[in-house]
Amino acid sequence: MQIYMPDGSRVELAAKDRLIEEILKELKINSEEVIVTLNGRIVAEEETAGGSDELKIFRIVHGG
Amino acid sequence: MLSDAERERYSRQIRLFAEEGQERLKKKIVFIAGAGGLGSVISLYMAASGFGRIRIADCDSVDLSNLNRQILHGSLDLGRSKAQSALETLSDINPEGEIEALQEKISAENINALVQGCDMIMDAMDNFPARYLLNHAALERRIPLFHGAISGFQGQATTILPGRTACLRCIFPRAPPAQESPALGSTCGVIGSIQVNEAIKFALGRGELLKNRLLLWDGLSSTLEEVSCEKSMSCMECGSI
Repeated sequence: MQIYMPDGSRVELAAKDRLIEEILKELKINSEEVIVTLNGRIVAEEETAGGSDELKIFRIVHGG
Repeated sequence: MLSDAERERYSRQIRLFAEEGQERLKKKIVFIAGAGGLGSVISLYMAASGFGRIRIADCDSVDLSNLNRQILHGSLDLGRSKAQSALETLSDINPEGEIEALQEKISAENINALVQGCDMIMDAMDNFPARYLLNHAALERRIPLFHGAISGFQGQATTILPGRTACLRCIFPRAPPAQESPALGSTCGVIGSIQVNEAIKFALGRGELLKNRLLLWDGLSSTLEEVSCEKSMSCMECGSI
């Protein structure tokens, strides 16, 4: 499973299915600060990813 | 009906969407939440392009640290209320439009009065709790919310059409931790311009809006990425719409 980090770097994780919440924990990313897309679609932390899925993690911006 | 002066002022836009389109903009009443970095770009372009009536609210005064990006205000405005400064700048940019500038902090108590009678809401806030108030007000009135946010070189934008698209809570169920963001005028320019472009298309009924699409701008790589989102049936704000 390919993961694109907020800084643009890439991480490869084992293909087994698991919760996005767990993946964020493993990557030491605060889930409150990011949105996650699974194959291009924004998903909740309760969803699972694995196999050849592509995850992208974006930092939420909130200034104006 | 446009006056001769308006026909001349908007002549380059009339080439684009005819007098009928210009009249559509003139009929719109817009609420702009904030007169900071995004609010500057949004209000200047909305006023210049001929939105008929603009109501803009901000509770702050102009500070020297605002002037790198908040182009509604200048050095002579330091210490003055942003609302008053906005009123003067926007009236000068386009005296044909009606500007209402309010020195108010947006809250649960005053949001209904602030958006009363408006056809659309422009998000130029700097925090998510205030954005959720705008989202709620837009959903209640079934009027669009044009969302934008920035931090440093990064920005995001989407268009929320109540009942038809994901709302702000569907996309961002929880507010990110509050913190003061770095802010760059050019990022405000990119995102604020996208928001205004969306509002113009909505008013004209032309083009494809950013429906269920979140645009993510990265100014460092000069890339614009699009991710899709969808209305959540379990959303605490719009699940029942």
